Amino acid sequence: MDLWNLFVAFFRASNLGFGGGPAIIPLIQAEAVDHYKWMTNAEFTDALAVANALPGPIATKIATYIGYQVASWPGVLVALAATVVPTVIILVFLGNLLMKYANSEALKSMLKGVRPIVTALLAVVAYQMGVAAFDIHVPLDFFTVVIAAGAAGAIYFFKTHPALLIVASMFIGYIVF
Amino acid sequence: MGLKLMKTLWDLFIAFFRASNFSFGGGPAMIPLIQEEVVKKYKWVDNEQFADLLAITNSLPAPIGTKMAGMIGYRVKGWLGALVAIVGVFLPTSLIVIFLGSLIMNYAESPALQSMLKGVRPVVAVLLAQTAIQMGKKAFSDNITWIFGAVSLAVLLLLPWIHPAFLVIASMLLGYLLFKKK
Repeated sequence: MDLWNLFVAFFRASNLGFGGGPAIIPLIQAEAVDHYKWMTNAEFTDALAVANALPGPIATKIATYIGYQVASWPGVLVALAATVVPTVIILVFLGNLLMKYANSEALKSMLKGVRPIVTALLAVVAYQMGVAAFDIHVPLDFFTVVIAAGAAGAIYFFKTHPALLIVASMFIGYIVF
Repeated sequence: MGLKLMKTLWDLFIAFFRASNFSFGGGPAMIPLIQEEVVKKYKWVDNEQFADLLAITNSLPAPIGTKMAGMIGYRVKGWLGALVAIVGVFLPTSLIVIFLGSLIMNYAESPALQSMLKGVRPVVAVLLAQTAIQMGKKAFSDNITWIFGAVSLAVLLLLPWIHPAFLVIASMLLGYLLFKKK
């Protein structure tokens, strides 16, 4: 019964959450805390803090954590599968369709229409991350500006690997903040 | 299993393992790192295909990171490829969450970790901005596409209750009507 509930909870949260993992968090909270009462709000906040401290997608980390708490390893498997599998199956078929008709005029015109929107979506995510990073207080935090400018320069001039920038910035963050 | 197949699956695992385990800020923060791996390093898809895959990914729910992994893994090596890429995304951090979760909880609010995450955030913002700029170069090919971009940006920022999936679908329909060669 626990396993079935886990499946339903994460299936619902994941498949109603547009905008990637971060958009799914409040939906998972509604399922795990309000609906199934697997944990308290405070416990959920703790789980979220752990997830945020680690790299990778947030939703799968939370699914693992709650799945394990509720029903050990089978719980982990079920919660992860419910989060990931349904949309991936749909996407594989959509992706195939996309590549199969890649040369059709109809699809080309649709993709031409959608590319500016994807760019705008990504720009908004970048902007939101920027707001979180800079805390938008005047004057801007000196070191945050320096790190951002340094990262932009490194990408533009040296084509530095993003992973290297991320590790370096954590190190610098540790030193200066 | 053939050696070549093993090699490809290993590459898929490593590519998504790296993209996932160096990204802080959830799935969306992974996008620039996935692009680095699958477009620049392994050349599984080109920049334009990457943008198109991202477009259909954005039109469906669920986490971005695993969706991209599943779709690109499948393109490279079928269902097995999809499985390996997805496992590469979540397995390492899932194991850490299970075995070290309570330990990390003690450190999650620690000043050292918080200062590291503070250092990372501006870099994540810059990386995402750079990916957006790169996509923009391909996306804004004429005046109409610029208008599409400006309108969707305005809607996203000013009318946040309008769902992004709606924008994606509306833009595909409009694109079909406006750009299809007679």
